[in-house]
Amino acid sequence: MSEAHGTRVQEHIGDPVSEAPVVSRDTLEEIFDDIQSDLRYDFELNGCLNCGICTATCPAAHYYDFSPREIVQLLWTENLEGIYDAMQEKIWACAQCYTCAARCPFGNSPGGLVMLMREAAIKHGMNSAKEVLRPFSRVMLKLVSTGNQLSPDMITADHFPDWGPNVTKIEAPLETLRKAIPMATLNTTKTAWEVNMRTSVELYTIWEETGVLDQLETIDENLFDVITDFMDEKRDDWEDFLDEQEDENDE
Amino acid sequence: MTSKTSDKGENGENNGGERFTGHGAEWRDSGLGARDAATATSWVEQRIDKRAMLTNKQRVEDVRDAMWQLEKEGEIAVHRVADEHKPVIAKTLYGWDKKVPTDRLWHHKSCGQCGNIPGYPTSLLWLMNKMGYEYLDETDQTSCTAWNYHGSGIGNLESLAAVFLRNFHQAYVAGRAQGLPDGYYYPLVHCGTSFGNYKEVRHYLLHSAKLREKVKSILGKLDRLVDGKLLIPEEVVHYSEWLHVVRDEVAKHQEIDCAHVRATVHPACHVYKMVPEDAIYDDDVLDGNRVAVSTSVLQALGAQVIDYRTWYDCCGFGFRHIISEREFTRSFAIDRKVRVAVEEANADVMIGHDTGCVTTLDKNQWISKAMGDEVSLAILADVQFAALVCGAHPYKIIQSHWHASPTERLMEKLGIDWEAKKAEFEAYLKEVEAGRPEHLYDPRLAITSGPGFKPITKQT
Repeated sequence: MSEAHGTRVQEHIGDPVSEAPVVSRDTLEEIFDDIQSDLRYDFELNGCLNCGICTATCPAAHYYDFSPREIVQLLWTENLEGIYDAMQEKIWACAQCYTCAARCPFGNSPGGLVMLMREAAIKHGMNSAKEVLRPFSRVMLKLVSTGNQLSPDMITADHFPDWGPNVTKIEAPLETLRKAIPMATLNTTKTAWEVNMRTSVELYTIWEETGVLDQLETIDENLFDVITDFMDEKRDDWEDFLDEQEDENDE
Repeated sequence: MTSKTSDKGENGENNGGERFTGHGAEWRDSGLGARDAATATSWVEQRIDKRAMLTNKQRVEDVRDAMWQLEKEGEIAVHRVADEHKPVIAKTLYGWDKKVPTDRLWHHKSCGQCGNIPGYPTSLLWLMNKMGYEYLDETDQTSCTAWNYHGSGIGNLESLAAVFLRNFHQAYVAGRAQGLPDGYYYPLVHCGTSFGNYKEVRHYLLHSAKLREKVKSILGKLDRLVDGKLLIPEEVVHYSEWLHVVRDEVAKHQEIDCAHVRATVHPACHVYKMVPEDAIYDDDVLDGNRVAVSTSVLQALGAQVIDYRTWYDCCGFGFRHIISEREFTRSFAIDRKVRVAVEEANADVMIGHDTGCVTTLDKNQWISKAMGDEVSLAILADVQFAALVCGAHPYKIIQSHWHASPTERLMEKLGIDWEAKKAEFEAYLKEVEAGRPEHLYDPRLAITSGPGFKPITKQT
């Protein structure tokens, strides 16, 4: 492989023992540009002396081949191949606790930088992102369609067998237990609280206007289809409600 | 530990004037002289105390300065913490004032709390009822969407900012449904991640005209601008901060003595590590060396606050990990938090103040049986513990049946006949099934617009 443009960056990055297609330098630059162009980048990366305080205090570093120091160094030195490589798996190890950010003497936020890399991984439809996020699709479906991130009917012993038999300690139907919560908004099973129809419809506008639906389509087309159908249905319901209101006002 | 002058008794049971009990009732002063004690603790202070953060002070700005400037320039509107919200001033990391509203609060709920540990918000509302504070709990709000964002990367700064502004605008106008003026209610954020995320987003909104321009166009489409401007809250306030500033008032309602309870505190990362300059520190709580919330409440109620070496660690929630990397979550929760609290601090309870932490620490104990070395510890939120010792029903209000951890053991230590209370609750479920549930507030107030809305005018 030849060196490109007189830099240390190779023309292509590829694994000599895998069948995976090589990645062009243009793609590497495009990915880095996406990370770097986020307005948070300059707030979250201020320099690095490799002190390693971030990694010493990082919970994920205890259990994974992950080091926030390495992430910061890759970005600080603009190591495009290393950045791409870290986006295959490492960035998904971060627990997002921001301990690193609170500790860094330079005021860096390695956890925040990881988020910029995750967003870029999604934008570029990386397989790593698709695979890692597959188990997260229930949460995304719930959130994008209702405005709630989880619901009581998702927290059951069947879904979390390692939580043991005491997910609830009283034998009664979920619906009854939820109605026994003395807050009217919480007497629900399919959402954490009852969400006003207008709220959901407004949220759909936010998803569309900020490119979140595009992200979803890139990462999981089937999920995208299900969610957009749901959104259309709810918007129709909202329009019907507004029409009814108008009719009532006219009478 | 540094030797401090204190008037505590031999067993450390009277902590009047004492700031940090260290290891509970069995704790004994080391007897070190001032110099030796300072040497012994200096490495701790350098590494984990707030003083380490203070080294950055010169480079940190108070973002509210930028906020007032933008308001002056007519760029934004600010939802003020007004006198009517009965604010109490608390001090943040660098000694800056934070106005914490105590009255006329709009509950910005947490999806994880409401979906999974509902005794968290019910305890909060119950305490507010007991102390006569006014609030609104309504349906017109979304999750902050930050759990999903931090877990998946789906979302972006603009979507997070638009959701923040949308929900806080709703808080501002929510009173209209009752014929009340705008700004009547002030938002109180229940979730630690929402709290951290919203503060981070506020920072970027106040520093980026481009971001403001983009979200202004979205908020305009939603008809959620104030006089054509974005509405920014003067303070972003977490419920644990509210509890902190009313703790002495809460203690006046205490019915159950908890002086013999050994409590460990798990401070939530997103409460004090995200935007750390806005976290509350109090010289009277742990010498002002650690975030004050929750610990201050336990102290006000007379519980023993016990230190443990991994207090600074996260809980292992990980956002994505609790769903799809569960081995990490449960290993971290068990080995780095629960086991340490049990074996080192001999704790009766671990107290949290965030959604993900309480869930993670509570639910990931049973699996320790698989290792043949079971560990268990009651896990509650500070507000649940406070309500419990103020006489709240352990099942109707604390909703302890949703907790997998051994809350019964804690109740026994507090002298609560939990079996009798459980039987009462099971009988109450029959009333619920018969359509006679009890409510903490008039349920008609919960819907402020759209289907099901019925205007109820409130007299101010």
